[in-house]
Amino acid sequence: MSHHYVVTAQKPTAVVSCVTGNFTSPTDLNLIIARNSQLEIDLVTPEGLRPLKEVNINGQICVMRHFRPQDSKKDLLFILTFRYNVMILECRMIGDQISVVTKAHGNVSDQVSIPTEGGVIAVIDPKARVIGMCLYMGLFTIIPLDKETSELKATNLRMDELNVYDVEFLYGCINPTIIVIHKDVDGRHVKTHEINLRDKEFMKIAWKQDNVETEATMLIPVPTPLGGAIVIGRESIVYHDGNSYHAVAPSTFKQSTINCYARVDSKGQRYLLGNMYGQLFMLFLETIDNGKGGVSVKEIKVELLGEISIPECITYLDNGFLFIGSKHGDSQLVRLSTTPNENGSYVIPMENFTSLAPILDLGVVDLDRQGQGQIITCSGSFKDGSLRIIRIGIGIQEHACIDLPGIKGMWSLKVGIDESAFENTLVLAFVGHTRILTLTGEEVEETDIPGFISDQQTFHCSNVDYDQIIQVTPLTVRLVKSSTKSLVGEWQPPDGKRIGVVSCNSSQIVVASACNVYYIEIENCYLAEKSHRALEYEVACLDITPLEEGKNKADLVSIGLWTDISVVILSLPKLETMYTEKLFGEIIPRSILMTTFEGIHYLLCALGDGSMFYFILNRLDGRLSEKKKVTLGTQPTTLRTFKSFATTNVFACSDRPTVIYSSNHKLVFSNVNLKEVNHMCSLNAQSYPDSLALATKNSVILGTIDEIQKLHIRTVPLGEGPRRIAYQESSQTFGVATLRVDVQGRGGPKPTRPSASTQAQNITYASNIIPKPGGGSAATTNAEIGQELEINNLLIIDQNTFEVLHAHQFMPSESIISLMSAKLGDDPNTYYVVSTALIYADDPEPKIGRIIIFHYNENKLTQVAETKIDGSCNSLVEFNGKVLAGINSFVRLYEWTNEKELRMECNIQNNISVLYLKAKGDFILVGDLMRSMTLLQHKQMEGIFVEISRDCDPKWMRAVEILDDDTFLGSETYGNLFVCQKDSAATTDEERQLLPEVARFHLGDVVNVFRHGSLVMQNVGERTTPNMGCVLYGSVNGAIGIVTQIPQDFYDFLHSLEERLTNTIKSVGKIDHSYYRSYQTTQKTEPCENFIDGDLIESFLDLGRDKMKETVMGLELTLNGEKKEADVDDVIKIVEDLTRMH
Amino acid sequence: MSVAEFLKDLPSHNAQNFSQFNMEQGLRTSQKRPSVYLPTEDVPSEQHIVMDKRCVLLRYLKQQWDKKTLPRKRDHTNGDANVGNGTANNSCKKRPRLDINQLV
Repeated sequence: MSHHYVVTAQKPTAVVSCVTGNFTSPTDLNLIIARNSQLEIDLVTPEGLRPLKEVNINGQICVMRHFRPQDSKKDLLFILTFRYNVMILECRMIGDQISVVTKAHGNVSDQVSIPTEGGVIAVIDPKARVIGMCLYMGLFTIIPLDKETSELKATNLRMDELNVYDVEFLYGCINPTIIVIHKDVDGRHVKTHEINLRDKEFMKIAWKQDNVETEATMLIPVPTPLGGAIVIGRESIVYHDGNSYHAVAPSTFKQSTINCYARVDSKGQRYLLGNMYGQLFMLFLETIDNGKGGVSVKEIKVELLGEISIPECITYLDNGFLFIGSKHGDSQLVRLSTTPNENGSYVIPMENFTSLAPILDLGVVDLDRQGQGQIITCSGSFKDGSLRIIRIGIGIQEHACIDLPGIKGMWSLKVGIDESAFENTLVLAFVGHTRILTLTGEEVEETDIPGFISDQQTFHCSNVDYDQIIQVTPLTVRLVKSSTKSLVGEWQPPDGKRIGVVSCNSSQIVVASACNVYYIEIENCYLAEKSHRALEYEVACLDITPLEEGKNKADLVSIGLWTDISVVILSLPKLETMYTEKLFGEIIPRSILMTTFEGIHYLLCALGDGSMFYFILNRLDGRLSEKKKVTLGTQPTTLRTFKSFATTNVFACSDRPTVIYSSNHKLVFSNVNLKEVNHMCSLNAQSYPDSLALATKNSVILGTIDEIQKLHIRTVPLGEGPRRIAYQESSQTFGVATLRVDVQGRGGPKPTRPSASTQAQNITYASNIIPKPGGGSAATTNAEIGQELEINNLLIIDQNTFEVLHAHQFMPSESIISLMSAKLGDDPNTYYVVSTALIYADDPEPKIGRIIIFHYNENKLTQVAETKIDGSCNSLVEFNGKVLAGINSFVRLYEWTNEKELRMECNIQNNISVLYLKAKGDFILVGDLMRSMTLLQHKQMEGIFVEISRDCDPKWMRAVEILDDDTFLGSETYGNLFVCQKDSAATTDEERQLLPEVARFHLGDVVNVFRHGSLVMQNVGERTTPNMGCVLYGSVNGAIGIVTQIPQDFYDFLHSLEERLTNTIKSVGKIDHSYYRSYQTTQKTEPCENFIDGDLIESFLDLGRDKMKETVMGLELTLNGEKKEADVDDVIKIVEDLTRMH
Repeated sequence: MSVAEFLKDLPSHNAQNFSQFNMEQGLRTSQKRPSVYLPTEDVPSEQHIVMDKRCVLLRYLKQQWDKKTLPRKRDHTNGDANVGNGTANNSCKKRPRLDINQLV
């Protein structure tokens, strides 16, 4: 049996819908954003948008609308999910806590009807009398909003119109009246229907307009006094109110279809329109006095305002600010300005809300070779396409930055203000000199301390006992009175020796000069040398951090030695050897540190190659035990302690800065989201409280550090849609397949805007033309002028700078279908293997394509080979040095010959359309368009494929992955995950040929890609949670998640915790968790099985202590083979460990 | 009419909103999501939304039938003192299915 844990690392980011209204109070202006299964409630404030709460819904949100009941001062929210659950929600503020109350809920599905083709629509009568929905063909579902009854009866009304494009309720009608755009054989028409709420039927058609524009798609109801509706077409806009009719066809309009609108003013004269090009328009209804004391529309005016992210929804917030929700790029907060900027745009972007949606492909690459993967996603579409580099780590919030290159050391001090809690001085060491900076407020200026030596490099500096400051330079140890800043004591090594390394606490100093170690105590105005010892080898690093809490005196000195490559623990004050630990190897220790985490003493010793040993240290006898090693970076590492949120942390400065802390008595290593940190010190200044000063190569950064590690996303905008990505280690590049939309001009296709492929350092064009089946050539496209053409490019992108080194452009009809980097046969080169297909609108499936082998070497992309294929190669996999390809219904293996040609080796046709392939050893997992997964084996000796087993349940596949030799993970198009397992215990051949489903889960998001890899460092083998393997996924809605296998007993424990949590945490909208997570397609519904919902498990940590207690009551836990009743702390530990996966 | 005129006098709910929007560090990029709402109090929903599962055609026929027969029935009941008001409904043996659609 197979058990799985699935958890989201990055929540879905695609915005489905957004509304502005008064939700939390009659005076609060709120923005509510719907993303997949979450609502975000924001408050509009003078400073901008303030996020208040995120609300999880047990269902994918399909439509979100708001309405205001007649006698209410607040707005309510109506939500319809993909499974036809409906709910009416109200936000209430109790103190400063939001509570979201489900006012009404239910389900409006109908098992026998046919769902509408164009998706569901839901609209609400402006007087809040009724909700109307187009869910099924030929039906209009209404929910009369009757206040008095405890039951709201949803009823289907028969509607003559079958193909409905849009529906809206009209304003100012005595009975609720809808207006519909529908299509029949003659074209598209607009029609109104009046609803009789008492008899629940359509009464009459108030007015209609036949034959509106052939591509009319959207209706905008106009409020009273104007009334009527605006009909938006592809090229024209029509206003109609039953009597009068106005039309306009703006010339700026033709390029793309308007897909969303927002009303600006309540009288309904101004509207914002957005299209798929990311253009924002304003529509203005000019009015005229109609002579009857009212107004009517005189003219429609439309103006282009500027560019925004490709919108899915727009809402007007306040004072000219808009929220743009996007599914194809980052969502935005923008401001409308009455004066155009330098680009002639009236739209000023104010804030971007990062979105990864849609993730079409992703690569997991350990660029830093730390055992921690970075994810590179192909995100966004069209002009909003980008690569996103995602890594997990601790963030630094930068508050100030000072340009100062060459820093060799850095310390913070209190000078002259010993009673203050804050520090006011930074001492910076450079080669041959020292500089002192004072912090006054936010200002930083250079100063000097008379008692200090500034023409030498400082090795150490700190506040010590008796209100004194110590400075150590290569020649001297100086004691300075803080109040007078003058020298009061000094110690120099005998015979003019130079100090090599030093360590100091508030009462003691150890200084080493080559092999000699001196121990000095700090007294009032005096440095007293207490002992001296010559060691066998030179000292490389040392430390005297006191280990006992509250004590400022250390009993131990730890020393790292040259030549011997060992760690020695000496006792104080006599400097006698207590313990020696050989590190072996040839890399010298560079930094040593004793520290205490959660009551356990540790000795950390970082080496010159970026690796670090760590031990448990016995404070009494100096013994080291439980030696472990971890790789932190590649350069010499310096260890410094700092306090953050009242706990001790260690900062490892190197080319891969890392924070080391302890959680549940285990050390945790978290990357810091900075490129390189050479030195650091903690800084607690008045204007920079609880901060860190970090020295990079050229500057000092003052900033604060995040409490927990999280995902950090870096964006590389491409300006065109990336579709496939492959990493090639040998050339240190990424290959990225992109799609750009050009417009046919007189001389051929012309790019509409600069983008990655048009700005590449080198551009080449595909010259090899394969003939179009049935005559004609792909080269001569007979596209009309002004027609959009899809241009595919293969981009070669530098792995470090993300510069586009090369773009290889294909012919307009040739699309890149898949891409990989592979080493083939005995050939020493690594190649990019690209498959393409010629796509013509009239072909049911592509009939012809190519597999092309490219070699990128010395900044040149050369085509090495190509082979013509009779279809579209949807998937490419490197298979034991050969090319495995899924071509239409075939799985085919190509061999790479010595003549550098692809030669077909074998072939199997047993599918509808092979979309996805994964391979492990000789086994091949096939994901079919509609026939689920099949397991094949390649018999090398015979040179044939054999079908081993197959899942016979039909499924429309979206991604597949091999979890282990017997277990296979699949994602299908209804947002479900499932696992099939080879039945090893099967007794008959028939059973063996089956690949039964053993686990199911409704993710509520469509997974486009699975990849093995981990977001966190793998070499830290200190986990209590026994998970095996780790598969990352990327989804349509921009989510990144993890699927991992867990053992049966752990599953049982989590499953029972999950069940308890569903009882503790109440569902907003009253949709059961078990219903939400049940596997559901149009064919079947089955309960969730053998999957744990990690998002629900992790929410345990956000519960109050008493609720935690209530939840774990009676929960059984197996610890070291023994069953026991779990207590809250046990469960917190386990769940915290689980959260550390991301 | 120029674009500037289009954009004149945009609606203002509260003039203070966005007035202190900080643009000093250029375009802001945010990835932040607010804390998750975890209700532990069970507040019963005031209203249930239930689907009228009757077939559209049957409902239409019944409505037509009622329209035709109801006035006559009323005449009939008025004439017969033994039959109560509810008879018109009770005479129909088939009761509408009004269960909440549940997971099967």
